[in-house]
Amino acid sequence: MRRAVHAGSTVALFLLLCLPGCRRNEPEFRPGVLTVAQEQQSSWVRNFHPFLPMGVARWPTSAGIYEPLMIFNRINGEYVPWLATGYSWSGGADRVTFTIRDGVRWSDGTPFSAEDVVFTFDLLKKKPALDTGGIWKFLESVQLDGQGRVVMRFQRPYSPGLMTLAHLPIVPARVWREIEDPVTFSNPNPVATGPFTEVRHFGNQVWEIGRNPHYWQKGQPKVEALRFPAFPTNEQVTLALIHGEVDWAGSFIPAIDRIFVGRDPEHHGYWFPLVAGSIYLYPSQRVPAFRDVRVRKALSLAIDREMVIRVALYNYTKPAEPAGLSDGYAKWRHPGFGPGDGWVHYDPKAAEKLLDEAGLKRQGEGGMRSGPDGNPLELEISVIAGWSDWVRACQVMARTLRAVGIDAKVKAYDFTGWFQKVQRGEFDLTMGWTDDGPTPYHVFRGIMATETVLPFGEASYANWHRFGNDEADKLLHRFERTVDGNEQREIAWRLQEIFLAEAPAIPIFLNPSWGQYNTKRFVGWPTAGNPYARLSPNHPPETLLVMTGLKPAPATEAVRDNQ
Amino acid sequence: VSRLVEYLLRRLGFYALAAWVAITLNFLIPRLMPGDPAQIMFARFKGEMNPVAIAALRETFGLTDAPMWMQYLSYLEHLFRGDMGISVSYFPEPVVNVIATGLSWSIFLAGTALIISFLLGTALGALAAWRRGGLLDSVAPPLLSLLGAFPYFWMAMLALFLFGFGLGWFPLWHAYPEGTSPGLNLPFLAGALYHAALPAATIVIASLGGWMLAMRNTMVGVLGSDYITYARARGLSPRRVLIRYAARNALLPNITGFGMAFGFVLGGALLTEIIFSYPGQGYLLIQAVRAQDYPLMQGLFLTITLAVLGANWLVDIVTLMLDPRTRR
Repeated sequence: MRRAVHAGSTVALFLLLCLPGCRRNEPEFRPGVLTVAQEQQSSWVRNFHPFLPMGVARWPTSAGIYEPLMIFNRINGEYVPWLATGYSWSGGADRVTFTIRDGVRWSDGTPFSAEDVVFTFDLLKKKPALDTGGIWKFLESVQLDGQGRVVMRFQRPYSPGLMTLAHLPIVPARVWREIEDPVTFSNPNPVATGPFTEVRHFGNQVWEIGRNPHYWQKGQPKVEALRFPAFPTNEQVTLALIHGEVDWAGSFIPAIDRIFVGRDPEHHGYWFPLVAGSIYLYPSQRVPAFRDVRVRKALSLAIDREMVIRVALYNYTKPAEPAGLSDGYAKWRHPGFGPGDGWVHYDPKAAEKLLDEAGLKRQGEGGMRSGPDGNPLELEISVIAGWSDWVRACQVMARTLRAVGIDAKVKAYDFTGWFQKVQRGEFDLTMGWTDDGPTPYHVFRGIMATETVLPFGEASYANWHRFGNDEADKLLHRFERTVDGNEQREIAWRLQEIFLAEAPAIPIFLNPSWGQYNTKRFVGWPTAGNPYARLSPNHPPETLLVMTGLKPAPATEAVRDNQ
Repeated sequence: VSRLVEYLLRRLGFYALAAWVAITLNFLIPRLMPGDPAQIMFARFKGEMNPVAIAALRETFGLTDAPMWMQYLSYLEHLFRGDMGISVSYFPEPVVNVIATGLSWSIFLAGTALIISFLLGTALGALAAWRRGGLLDSVAPPLLSLLGAFPYFWMAMLALFLFGFGLGWFPLWHAYPEGTSPGLNLPFLAGALYHAALPAATIVIASLGGWMLAMRNTMVGVLGSDYITYARARGLSPRRVLIRYAARNALLPNITGFGMAFGFVLGGALLTEIIFSYPGQGYLLIQAVRAQDYPLMQGLFLTITLAVLGANWLVDIVTLMLDPRTRR
């Protein structure tokens, strides 16, 4: 009996502890605090090292806490002056001069100057482990010119290097000079120039960073603090978005109009501009049949892109352009190419004709085709397990390829396994992205430059399919040496002509840049109607434009539009 | 008594040997993997890095071309100092600190759930066998087996959506309320219990059937033995027969199972942690494997191995107390 009483009191105690919480678990909010879900982690590690790749240091570190000289805005294709007020080229493309902004202060109140910029670049030279972008591969020296300007000399003319230089986060010389080992320094209390610098709270589940008291943009930021709850996967982020807990995220959400917007049409919104690059199907040169341009074009003609987008991508995007350039490169597109030109459209009859011409004969009526040597041609489309939209897209492509007699099967690999195979060129066909940059230079260099062709079995960052073209090499070198926009555009057109003739990779669809917002607490989000930057938090440093573009929502509930 | 001490020491010696083997395998396996771990590590540092930069990073991560035995010795030396190297995916944080962010939460959540599930399942199993054919015996085993057979992922998601999202009775994520600070204070402790309730309940429901069935089946066998009949014939109270004679013996296989299961607690309840956004080892392990973060993987494996060994040693002691035969 005593025991029963004891058990009863335990239950009562538990209920007592639980009851105050047994109401609806509405998220609680403090005014001015913006909740962001960008990184997927189950617990936070305090790291604000500005030179580490995304995902290693906390998300706002490189753009938000620290700031770059300029920000390339992918939406309009222009550089936005930031810590530098401008730049100019001289001596062709072998010297660039940045004019450094006056009146900027570090978050501890001390003045920022051009010397900090020089110090930052020299730090990367002294500590090569920090130079993950490889800027000292083309830089020769970085010096002050005595008038508050910083002159950067190149080892050789290299105009595409501008973005890497402009986007480097600048650190205070006074602080970083004292650090014994800048490589393994986790920088727990950053001193920086960005809008958010004061870590208010850091726990393993939630952390928060407040605004910089000395921020150089007067009256900015209008957001008081950024808050980061840890969510391990997309599903948890989606749940938090629907629940109204997260204000800003960049996740993939299936059927977003119903699942997310439908929950609260007044406040929930998204914008998926198609500027992030294109997604390609890469045919590896390892497969003898793929060394024939007719076969590569036939593969492309056999793919029903509309169906891929409808079935796998919830109509979030549109089919690729003839030369594969996404909307982010709209002004670089060849004026002579229109939709339906070339081989980036659906035409199974033409595909069959090309395959017949290439000698890939069907084995019997309606059978699968054999390779040019007469052996059966069995191909594998490698894809990343768990990237469900891509897996479905590959399944649709395999089906349409089989319709023209190409025996293709989808095989899903774990990310690392896939990445390793793909970087070594050890695949038949794979879906993948391209290198990105302000101009199409990086796109085409990664698709058809001979200097990016590594032997099979050696891990390569770009050109997984191992395709090289001599003329493209020459054009890319010419591109590096010029800063003249018109000349660059003409080179880009010629590169697109080569792409159309050679079909080194098969563009499938434009990759959306995922972004979701909630206007309940903050307004001023970039949207199709107010496209001042990408909404997605996944592309720093453009995120700085959003951080300084937001303001608290008017207190009334009657906010209808997001302006 | 001296025989007892000798036995315990002998077992301890055995575990020390096992620990040494585990530590050595932990050293060898990443080095025997095909491909250069360094190459894979740097692939994630997007961009075309300088060879100089790569060399500098290799040095930072302690990847050297020194002979194997020298690497082994320095590995052992570092291990004794509690230094498991620097994590790649959480660079430059030491592995020990990364593991520390989730370890206590894994132990708390999975450990509590395991203990509840073990105690409850064993008690139910003993009772079911005692009243064989009774209501408990005919309803509970099939029902619990059914619940245990649901895919855990699905059941946990359902619980989260129903009780967390739909009804709003439980928190949707995390291990403690945001405003509280970890430590010995009532709001934090109460909040932590409240946050653990739903995830722990899903683990208990999923695993209860196993414990119960195992206990029930052993118990049925034990209850059929002559000594139980004898004990009953001597007129001992049914309660005394049930607990002191039958359950005590039937418990042994379950205790062994408990030792094994406890070891896996440190591996974290992976799916529970992901679905409920709960900090812990499970997600770290997945993260380490995805990023090919060998130092972190090694650290986690070592923690798990040592925990399994430790738990088994404790089980040895408990078995010793329950079963006098093992002392001989």
